[in-house]
Formats: sequence, C-alpha cells, structure tokens
Amino acid sequence: MPHERSHIVSSYEQELDQLRAMVAQMGHIVEEQVSLALLAIAEHDEAAADEATRRDPEVDELERDVETLVIRLLALRSPMGADLREIVAALKITGDLERIGDYAASIARKAIKAASSEAQISFSGLRSMCRLVRDNLSRTVEAVIQHDPNMAMEVWHADRGVDEHYVALFRELVTYMMEDARNIRACTELLFIAKNLERIGDHATNMAERVFYSVTGENLPPERPRGENSMRKLNREI
Amino acid sequence: MMSASMPFTEHLTGSSGDEPVQEVALAVRGVNFYYGSHHALHDISLDFPARCVTAMIGPSGCGKSTLLRIFNKMYDLYPGQRATGEVMFDGRNILDDSISLDMLRARIGMVFQKPTPFPMSIYENIAFGVRLHEKLSRTAMDERVQDVLTRVALWNEVRDRLHAPATGLSGGQQQRLCIARSIATRPEVLLLDEPTSALDPISTARIEELLDELKEEFTIVVVTHNMQQAARCADQVAFFYLGRLVEMDTADRIFTNPRQKQTQDYITGRFG
Repeated sequence: MPHERSHIVSSYEQELDQLRAMVAQMGHIVEEQVSLALLAIAEHDEAAADEATRRDPEVDELERDVETLVIRLLALRSPMGADLREIVAALKITGDLERIGDYAASIARKAIKAASSEAQISFSGLRSMCRLVRDNLSRTVEAVIQHDPNMAMEVWHADRGVDEHYVALFRELVTYMMEDARNIRACTELLFIAKNLERIGDHATNMAERVFYSVTGENLPPERPRGENSMRKLNREI
Repeated sequence: MMSASMPFTEHLTGSSGDEPVQEVALAVRGVNFYYGSHHALHDISLDFPARCVTAMIGPSGCGKSTLLRIFNKMYDLYPGQRATGEVMFDGRNILDDSISLDMLRARIGMVFQKPTPFPMSIYENIAFGVRLHEKLSRTAMDERVQDVLTRVALWNEVRDRLHAPATGLSGGQQQRLCIARSIATRPEVLLLDEPTSALDPISTARIEELLDELKEEFTIVVVTHNMQQAARCADQVAFFYLGRLVEMDTADRIFTNPRQKQTQDYITGRFG
C-alpha cells in the first residue's frame, strides 16, 4: 500500500477509498468482459458474446462517475504528491479500461460472426492470444488494486508475448486467405479480433505504466519491451 | 573570480564542472538557534539561489520563521536569543557582531504577515526608509516612489492620494505598500513571512503575481503555511520539521514526488 497513515481529514480519505473502489469495480467488469470474449472465441458462446456487450454501459457509467469524482477531488482537496499521482492515474486508468471494455464487446461479436461462416479456420491461435491478454489484464487490474509496482513491471514486460502472438496470427490468417478466397470474410473478422486483442494488451501496458508512476513517482522507460522487431519485420513484409 | 560589483558571495559549481553555475544569494552553513535554553534550529545548511523564490514550509514551530528572522537578525532585539554557524551574504557572515544592522536590513528587506504601514502618508511610508540610506533630490525621490509603487501594481490605485494616510488603504493595498517600502531601499533579498495569510484571494493573487515579477531582480524567501501558494510561487521549497531541514528540492519535485516520507506525509495532509 502506498500510505501507512491516513489523512487527517477523514472525508478526504473516504473519497480516495471511494475512487479506489470504483476503479477496482470497473477493472473487474472489464476483466469479465474479456473472459466473455474468450468464451465467444473458444466456444462460440453467443450468450457470452451478448453478455460482453450488455456490460458495456456499466463500464461507461463508471468511467463518467470516476471523472466526476476526480474533478471534485482536484478542485476541493488540492491533492499533492502521491495522492495527486494516484488520482490522475485513476482518471487515465479508467480511460484505458473503458477502451478495453469496448474492444472486448467488439471481439465477442466478431468471434460469433466469424464462427458462423462456412470457412474452416482454426481459432486455436486466437484462443491462446486471448487467454494471454486476459491473464495479463487480470494481473494489471490486480496491480492497480494492490498498488503494486513490481506486478505492474511484470505485466509491462509480458506485453511482448501478446505482440508476438499477433504477428504469428497475422501470418497464419494471411496464409488462410491466400489458400482460399472464401476464407477472406471470416479471416478479416479474425484479423480485427487479433488487432483488438493487441490493442487491449497496449492499454494494459498503459495501465501498468500508470500504476508504476503512481506508486513510485518514477516513469518506466519510454521504450516498451514489445516485440518491436517482429512487428517491424511484419510491416516491411506487408 | 567574482567582480566586486557582483552582489552575491558564493557560487556553486556543478559536479562535472561544466554545468550551469547557480548563483547563491544566501548560504546557510551549520546554523543553530536558541531561544534561551530551547534549541529551535538544529544544524541547518542550505543555499538560497539568487533571483529565485524559495518557500519554506512546515508545521507550526518547525523553525521556518526562526530561520527567516535570522537573515535580517531580528533576534538581535531579544536578549537570550542567539544564533551560531554561518549565513554567508555578500562575502560576510551576517551572524558576526560586526555587521551593521541598518545596512543589513536595507539589503535584506522583510515583509510581515500583517501589513505594517507606518502611521504616515503613502508617500512618506516609502520615502522614510530611503532617506535613512540615501540622499535623494525631491525629483529623484518622487521618481523612486513612483517606480516602486508601479512595480507593486499600486501606482494607478494611489497616484491621486499619495499624501493620504497609508492606513486608509485596504489590507491588500497595505501589504503591497509594505513590499514597495521594502524594495525602495533596493535590497538584494526580500524576506516574506506569511505575506498573504491576512489577505483575500484577489489580493493574494496580486502579491503572488508580484513575487513572480520581483524575482527577476531580487532573491525571495517566503515562509508560508499555504502549500498551494508555495506550489504556485516557489522555484524551490524547503520542508522543515522540529527544527530540522528535512528536504529541499524544486517545487515540482516536492509537490509531486518528494524523497522523504515526512515531506510526503506533510504535503498530503497525513501528518501528526
């Protein structure tokens, strides 16, 4: 935990606790959305896909509530030091979570659409990428809740694996499309899914950076440890 | 080598030798202060960079005002109060008994928490101090009065009543007059002890704006309980606790990411 002592003004402490609780709640909902998207990918579970979309307004509302509370805290409490960093981090983290929620809902819908096509395409690569993204996200949300910079640093490093999955999947899907033009429609959906999963990974990395800064006051290096070489190589290929 | 005309005594050299050199106006070295048997300041050492605003913050009784008052030897008025160590200013230790108090106070001005205009006219409030140190012609004195009143953004408000009693001004105007009075003797350092704690927000903003302008010419040391004020005005901030300097750094660093836990607890309101 970042602070051993409480604020002298207990209502300030309560408001900070309220902010932490809202961010945690939002994190858990978004984690659940990504798990539902995984079910849609792995088991073509339509109910799960619907549920992933259905939860989106909750996330949006929480984001607005957090924004309102943050503005209130900035205006009325004039936070300083670790409090200021935590409050600004919370605002930015909820922005990342809201985007992740959108991506998860979109992934779930696209997975059902792709699964309903006649093309015979393996979802296994996508499944393992989605699992990795979900696990990284869960650890990121945990790092946010626990204010744990070490865990944040771990997930920051783990995003490299997501990038590598994306590059491999991209190649695989392009191969399917070249093999049979009838695969193009489904493969395009799957490419979008892969891209959205990669974006979720990036947002989780953002969150990890914000946790690290919030707790330590130091920034992680500007260069992210992503699979840069393979991404660059891929960009040259296409 | 410093030329004789340079107002400040010490220069800090960057560790690598080629970093920009920060001119130091006041260099405090191993200062201890005693109110009778009470040891109020413990071995304080820090530099006050020239033409910067340095804020001293800390809970009541931490020693920040005591240190401020050492700089123009206010304690000299009270028996039983004594300071040891060195405060180097323009090549001399101002704690030495041989220092002329009049000259010291002309070169290190002080503004207090409550505005303290003399019971005389606005014009005389300024001219009075100047006459103690300089012989100016009537025209030169008029110019000096206009100049300092303009610089504290008071000229337009008082130009038509320069010979009216200063006590008729509002609190904010009185405080700006006191600052004008302090800078009229052309000091090098301006000390301010809670200069806005008795003022409304508009007057406070005017004083803060003024500090920003004055620091181009003067070294400013301000004691404040208002952390937002320290954050708004200061280039660097020193945090004191129980008579000791806990941490000194840029305002940016102190208010976003201080190095010491005591500082963190204080600025975030977790003290006590």
